[in-house]
Amino acid sequence: MSLLEARSLTRRFGSFTAVDGVDLTVDGGEIVGVLGANGAGKTTLMRMILGLLRPSSGTVLLFGRPPSRGTRRSIGYVPQGMGLYRDLTAAENLAFAAAAFGVPAGPPPPGTETGLVGRMPLGPQRRLAFAVARQHHPRLLVLDEPTSGVAPLTRVRLWDQIREQAAAGAAILVTTHYMDEARQADRLVLLAGGRVVGEGREQDIVGEATAVVVHTGDWSGAFAALEAAGLAASLAGREVRLPGAGPDEVRRTLAAAGVAADITSAPATLEEAMVLAGAGAGPGAAAVGGVPGAR
Amino acid sequence: MTWGVAGLAVWFGARCALEGIDLEVPEGQITAVVGGDGAGKSTLLRVMAGLVPPSRGAVRLPDRRQLGYLPTRAGGFGDLTVEENLEFVASAARLHRSTPRVDELLQRTGLASFRRRLARDLSGGMRQKLGVSLALLPSPRLLVLDEPTTGIDPVSRSDLWRLIAAAAAQGTAVLASSAYLDEAERAAWVLVLHEGRTLVAGPPAEVTGTLPGAVVEVDAPADPARAWRRGSRWREWRPEGDPAAVAPGLEDVVIVASLAAGAEGAG
Amino acid sequence: MQAMIRKEFRQLRRDRRTLALMIVVPLLLLVVFGYVARFDVKEIPTAVVGVQAEAVAALLPETFDVRIVDRAGSRATAEDLLRRSRAIIGVVAEPPLTILVDGSEMFAAQSALRRTGSALPFGEPQVEILFNPDLSTAAIMVPALIGMVLTAVGTVITSLGVVRERQEGTLEQLAVMPLRPRDVIVGKIAPYFLVGVIDMAVITAAGLLLFDVPFRGSWLVFIAGAVLFLLAVLGMGVLISTLSQTQGEAIQLAIMTMLPQVMLSGMIFPLTSMPWGVRWISYLLPLTYFIQIVRGVFLKATPIDALGIPFLALALLAAVVLSLAILRFRRDLAPSGRRAAEAPGAAA
Repeated sequence: MSLLEARSLTRRFGSFTAVDGVDLTVDGGEIVGVLGANGAGKTTLMRMILGLLRPSSGTVLLFGRPPSRGTRRSIGYVPQGMGLYRDLTAAENLAFAAAAFGVPAGPPPPGTETGLVGRMPLGPQRRLAFAVARQHHPRLLVLDEPTSGVAPLTRVRLWDQIREQAAAGAAILVTTHYMDEARQADRLVLLAGGRVVGEGREQDIVGEATAVVVHTGDWSGAFAALEAAGLAASLAGREVRLPGAGPDEVRRTLAAAGVAADITSAPATLEEAMVLAGAGAGPGAAAVGGVPGAR
Repeated sequence: MTWGVAGLAVWFGARCALEGIDLEVPEGQITAVVGGDGAGKSTLLRVMAGLVPPSRGAVRLPDRRQLGYLPTRAGGFGDLTVEENLEFVASAARLHRSTPRVDELLQRTGLASFRRRLARDLSGGMRQKLGVSLALLPSPRLLVLDEPTTGIDPVSRSDLWRLIAAAAAQGTAVLASSAYLDEAERAAWVLVLHEGRTLVAGPPAEVTGTLPGAVVEVDAPADPARAWRRGSRWREWRPEGDPAAVAPGLEDVVIVASLAAGAEGAG
Repeated sequence: MQAMIRKEFRQLRRDRRTLALMIVVPLLLLVVFGYVARFDVKEIPTAVVGVQAEAVAALLPETFDVRIVDRAGSRATAEDLLRRSRAIIGVVAEPPLTILVDGSEMFAAQSALRRTGSALPFGEPQVEILFNPDLSTAAIMVPALIGMVLTAVGTVITSLGVVRERQEGTLEQLAVMPLRPRDVIVGKIAPYFLVGVIDMAVITAAGLLLFDVPFRGSWLVFIAGAVLFLLAVLGMGVLISTLSQTQGEAIQLAIMTMLPQVMLSGMIFPLTSMPWGVRWISYLLPLTYFIQIVRGVFLKATPIDALGIPFLALALLAAVVLSLAILRFRRDLAPSGRRAAEAPGAAA
């Protein structure tokens, strides 16, 4: 049985449809990452799952039941801002949440034993936020950018803990727009314009999407020529990449500008695939390419 | 021309914020500084913006008028419109109020359709584009951007990096910081900081060669202290080398460097 | 510099709250000092008792607004009427002609004293100031200050406490915990209520000891009034915090509600001298009624049955403000339609 099951979930705000017929399941032991640009519907979807927002249509089932005060006992939530009381100590934060859930309080994680939470560096604060969210043994953990802003080693150590919860049977839903985090999920769901436009592992999301890679001694010349021609170029070190572009067009443009370059094609990165999927959804977005993994 | 610091140390009272930092920021190139909260990124960028004096070491900066700086989460004045923000920065920089540069930036960022909108009513991505535009407006020789893409979604982030790359293509020296390693791959040079010291430095594509020993991918780690999860599998550092080594990514290199530096459990 | 000035003006123009504070506050002060701040009381509620009551009442100058004429009444009747605040001046129309003045109404009393004597056609009367014979300012201000301090604690501090949860994102965290909205609301308000009670006890004790303010009435009446008042100001605090997004906004709003309370509650300027154009505002303020209760209890030992109107008004205000506050706070905690989402059929 899926611990979280959302069926044709839709939410409208006036004439604007923020989430449009989304199906989403998360099984016990599974980490699912929800990706998407701003306005793709990530936050609205998450708020409906948490019971903070009523769906316009469709249903959310948590542990096979509709959301209620009872199901809230089995949810752990770490909001983007961590939701900690900065003017309390770690132990006091743990004690408050434990009392609210009616469980004994856990010990403060290493590095948070003394002092007020507001005075701690971000790493220990994130560890504490996760400890608070999991101390009542939730069956569903909802984590919004749970490792944002911390050092790489701290990030992988946090992911070790998140994995442990999954291994113990919890269903984990992570929303993020950083590839460093997305890479850690078992399965990704890509949202654009309120709809699911891609699902699966990284390679499934990328699908057939490719990027043209320009290797050249004069990257700035190449970049300027391509941008002037209205092509969406991005820089990767000293190479120029053009996700979703055609190699011939790139070759022609560079030849016309007199820039000597070696042009190859490579699979798009996950981020490039997201940009291609999100293009057209946001204002000022890049030129539209194919929509990978659209269904 | 290359800007930068050599042998830089910054102390705030008894607290050491930066120690032994060397960094060159050449014109026409993006240089990235990556690190977690408290690593010293902002301090280094504030030194490069001429706002924090070095306690020790040399700093080479252009004239104040040729330096653009965008602090963390600064996207102009919230209660001014997009146009008024640009106009203010233009007149503060003694540019003509209707310099063609304003229109060029408005077009390039897609802000042209939001000229009359208050900055506080812009989306996060648009607001940040405004911030970068304001820093770019006086055509600085050195552009210092503190976490320009933090909290910004991938589409806007990609647009922002294009804007920044375009400035570099025109010859600006760009120094940008980020908490995320995947951002660093856009730069020609990356400096990874940890607790005020250099952890890894070099071109992102080349620093992977500097990894001591090897990284292997396994289902169960032999030494959990030297292992980290990547999805459902583990990666493990073998300092003595290993024939089954996988090609390490930038993140692996930084994690190994952190483990080697004994940086476990910090920031 | 020019660019800086232009920018600052533009920003100022858009900061409605600060602008309102900058313009409304001086304007309010002007209106208050121009129209409200009349220490000189024009109409003094007066009761005339005794066998010659009618004759004496007819002879009194216009300033004395004779509301009660009681031929059968005695000096004790007059004192009682003053204690119950039905009149500020009591004239005992029996020889020797005696004028009783309610000393708890400082300004009215002073005006009255100035007008007695020569104005009366039957020689020099005996004047007695009751309740506050020395016309001590402390005796009048200390009870009122208790109310003001409680307003500050109740409104400002409570509003900050709730808005902080919103600003730091912990309000959302509370909403997903298995807490009932009433657990959260009561749990949030109770500590401030307790702090308010302790605060009140400390100030009252300090006032009585340091300034030698008399306490003549019933402690129970005082406590009952204080509890109602505290509930009303706590409700204001919660209401302000649900209307604000940041602590800065909350403080601005709280100041905007504090100012009229200080000016118009009768704490400084007597209500009776205010024109009706502003006096109606006074009657919407909890502090107005609390001051009537505390001054009565402290100085005049006013019995509870004579405080029916202030008690009723305070209870009504507390109920309205607190209900509004709770309704709005609930909306933050249990977003609209969570119920509906619980019934699977309802949402489809």
